[in-house]
Amino acid sequence: MKTKQNSVSKWTSFIFLLLLAIIWVVPLLYGVMSSFKSNIEMQSVGFRFLPINWILTNYSRLLQNTSNTPVFRWFLNSLVIAGGSTILVLVVTSLSAFAFSRLRFKGRNTLFYFLLSTMMFPAVMNIIPLYKIMTFLGWANTPWAMIFPAATGALNIFLVRQFMDNIPLAYDEAARIDGASDWQIFHIVILPLVKPVLYVVALFTFTGSWNDFLWPSIVFSDINRMPITPGLKLLQGMYVADIPTLMAGAIIAIIPTFILYLVAQKYFLQSMSLSVGVKG
Amino acid sequence: MKKLRVLFMLTFSLFLSFFISSKTDFVHAASNKQIVFWNPFTGPDGTNMQKLINQYNKTNPEYKVKNVSLTESDMYSKIPTIVNSGKGIPDLQIVHVERIKDYVHNGLLDSYDPYLSQFPQIKGKNYVPEAWKNGKYEGHRYGVPLDIHTTFMYYNKDLVKKYAPHALDDNIVTFKEIEEAGKKSQKDGITALGLTWWKPLFLSLYGQMGGKLTKDGRNPTFNNATSKKAINLYKRLREEKITSQDGQDPMQLFLTGKDIFFPEGIWMNNQIKEGKIKYGVTNMPQISSNPNKMVNWSSSHQFVLLKQPKRSKAKTKATLKFINWVRLHSLTWAEAGQNPASLAITKNAKYNNMQQSFLLSNKTEQNSLTIFDYRYNGYLADYLDRYAYDAVFNKTSISKYLKKMQNTVQDEVDAQMAD
Amino acid sequence: MEDMLNTAKTAENVRTKSRNSKPTKSHPLYYLLPHLIIFSIFFLIPLVFGIYVSFTKWDLVRTPDFVGLENYKNILFSNSIFHDQLTSGLWHTILFVLLSVPFCIVVPLLLAVALNTKPFLGKFFQGLFYLPSLFSISAVVIVWSLIFNPNYGPLNTLFHLNQVWTGTQPWAWMTIVILTVWWTIGGNMIIYQAALNGISKDYYEAADMDGASSWSKFIHITLPSIRGQLLYTIVTTTIAQFNIYGQPLMLTNGGPNGSTSVLMMNIQQNAFGSGQSLAGLSSAMAVILGICITVVSMVQLYLLRDKD
Repeated sequence: MKTKQNSVSKWTSFIFLLLLAIIWVVPLLYGVMSSFKSNIEMQSVGFRFLPINWILTNYSRLLQNTSNTPVFRWFLNSLVIAGGSTILVLVVTSLSAFAFSRLRFKGRNTLFYFLLSTMMFPAVMNIIPLYKIMTFLGWANTPWAMIFPAATGALNIFLVRQFMDNIPLAYDEAARIDGASDWQIFHIVILPLVKPVLYVVALFTFTGSWNDFLWPSIVFSDINRMPITPGLKLLQGMYVADIPTLMAGAIIAIIPTFILYLVAQKYFLQSMSLSVGVKG
Repeated sequence: MKKLRVLFMLTFSLFLSFFISSKTDFVHAASNKQIVFWNPFTGPDGTNMQKLINQYNKTNPEYKVKNVSLTESDMYSKIPTIVNSGKGIPDLQIVHVERIKDYVHNGLLDSYDPYLSQFPQIKGKNYVPEAWKNGKYEGHRYGVPLDIHTTFMYYNKDLVKKYAPHALDDNIVTFKEIEEAGKKSQKDGITALGLTWWKPLFLSLYGQMGGKLTKDGRNPTFNNATSKKAINLYKRLREEKITSQDGQDPMQLFLTGKDIFFPEGIWMNNQIKEGKIKYGVTNMPQISSNPNKMVNWSSSHQFVLLKQPKRSKAKTKATLKFINWVRLHSLTWAEAGQNPASLAITKNAKYNNMQQSFLLSNKTEQNSLTIFDYRYNGYLADYLDRYAYDAVFNKTSISKYLKKMQNTVQDEVDAQMAD
Repeated sequence: MEDMLNTAKTAENVRTKSRNSKPTKSHPLYYLLPHLIIFSIFFLIPLVFGIYVSFTKWDLVRTPDFVGLENYKNILFSNSIFHDQLTSGLWHTILFVLLSVPFCIVVPLLLAVALNTKPFLGKFFQGLFYLPSLFSISAVVIVWSLIFNPNYGPLNTLFHLNQVWTGTQPWAWMTIVILTVWWTIGGNMIIYQAALNGISKDYYEAADMDGASSWSKFIHITLPSIRGQLLYTIVTTTIAQFNIYGQPLMLTNGGPNGSTSVLMMNIQQNAFGSGQSLAGLSSAMAVILGICITVVSMVQLYLLRDKD
């Protein structure tokens, strides 16, 4: 009887998921299909899911037109920025989380909650002064303008710390008895164990940096140095009434985060369950 | 293990110091014998500007020009900062003419006056008057025009033949003629007038009716009977279904042959060409058929010299040499659909075959080109772009719309930092 | 001084090591410093400076002019346009939070519950619902503006409607909320999934014995067990939605008649618009937005706290 009830709930779930999945996938697939249509076809044919004439010119146009919309260049810039941010965040976050999770020192909790609470302030409050700081350092129009601000966040530290807290202290103690220092415990014992959550942090940071919009559109003015998200906005200005070309640009822009997601996916549940632990 | 820790701290501090010291601004990197030229041409016209500069550099000038295209909004937010920092200031800069007054007030510009005597050809007689006039402020010349870019009106040739056969006889299409055509065409589901970019549509009409943006140069004067009348005209035409409706894309209507008249910028021409419909171009819609009362909304890209702490005489001369060369070689710029401000172009046969050339073909047309110059134009433009057709599409009342426009700009002017 | 301390410590370390009884202690600052330096330069200093700027008149270029509380008086108590911008912008932001947060919590929760039954194609569904969170706001808006396009969007052409979705209310809000839910639920869904995974099956089996309905199991077992995650997601989602900016900017341009103009748009336009920058006023608005977000998060944390 129990198995029967189980299979009933399995099937109702499946149907519910399927219905919502259609809502989720249709805009996306329709967008992908539209990127293979010509603008004239788009505007004159009315709704038709598949293109009548499959064309690749929307893509080739974007990848060729290098002087005004250097999409390929933007793509590379974004890779450098998002990759750099991810590396810096991983280093900085794991070190900090280790201190908060494993080292005893005065004011540890106060500092931790202070850092967390600053995350409530809206980013816009910092943007105006941050812009001044970046121009002062000469970092406007360079990847550093995005890489360093990415590593200020405390939310990642929170996630990694929660994960570390779930690693039994017995591991550390065993290592200590063998004469290991804190640093050895950190990089030999703890670091390999928190790999799953680091994958998640990497994914969050990479996509966050790749998709950041407000800040890069302020700090990047050189068209050859900007990342792809503000680039897409530029594209929107250039191809106002050319949705297929815009769509092609949008699709080019989502490829890397998509690949990273496929890689990191299997670590997702594991680390989220431990990080946002039962206590929250 | 202390070793490892020290090593880590060392690499980290190296990491930091390396990046802090790598303060190389991309403008600094330019060599001394180079004219760094900033402009907002990131659209298709950017390609033409690059071509023009390549042409110039091929003439082997002592100072070559280096083209730096920046996005418009970011370029404008960068200019004040960079001039005040005194570092990395470009040698030549393009700004929209409406910016000049505010820039002069804020001490951002150097005048051309000391150099003009050596370039006698850079003078009013050689440029379109409206573009030339607005480059001068308080008796000094701060801007030399590159172009005067106008919104005019595209029309579908077949549809005009069918619904308004005589509207174009005098090359002036009046609102009345549009209305008559629209009454006939709407039965076939054809729109007579596409409501495109609100700012030039509104300002052109407001200008024709004699409206002014300001009386004293500071305080705005938008909320009056004239502006009310102007918006009301569009609103009435919209209600009678003469114009495109809310949510319709006028560009799509025009490109699919469902719209007769389509007011848009001359710079859109290359894009319209791809649409494969038979079209012609004419003046913006007018209320009067008197050619001397015509108004076509225009703006102008102007060459300016941003203030430099130590301006090099030799380099500035070379810069003016480039400006003077552009005056004689602006065909490449015209190919982007633009109208160069230099009158030399009007003698070029290739140019005279271009559709936008009629706007410069005689004095009457030239006089119709109107630049709506107001020191606080930026605030007005932001309002008009943001609230756009809200009154015309009846999302708010005309009087509320105008009152808010007046108050917004007035309060913003008042809230500014003192000069 | 620092060096001397270090040498002393090292000496002690060596001693302790030789006795092999006490663990070596390293100074926590070594681990905290990288983050704290970056945090201070690129977050804390700008934040403090931003608050200072809100008491000045500033054009982003010259030295700020200190004007005391003038900006706050102007936006809070005058009848200027900036007062309008603050009140209507804040109201629209709050309205959006009220409209979107429930969906951003309930929809992913339902999905997670459904996925937790391990249905056919579960992994595929999970991937699909998470997918949009990988996209940038500009890409998402491009996709949805095609769907809502009044002339050739599938919504109008397929159902033979003639609705201007993004240009009339209440549809304009609806489009923004739909887009937001579609774009952002992935993260919360994964968190709930992980939480549900962690609930012991014993509870459910015991409830089954008592003949409890699915609904009462959901209310009495599931919800209390994932309380921590619910709290976490409610607070983070609320903060995220208070920062709404890209959706109305690119989808509705704040219209119709400014009815979807959110506070962030006004802040951005006043500071980085076409006219001379009003950075001081703009910062004052940002500070007020920040205070609102902080207060709301505090209230949520208080109301949803563990009552034990």
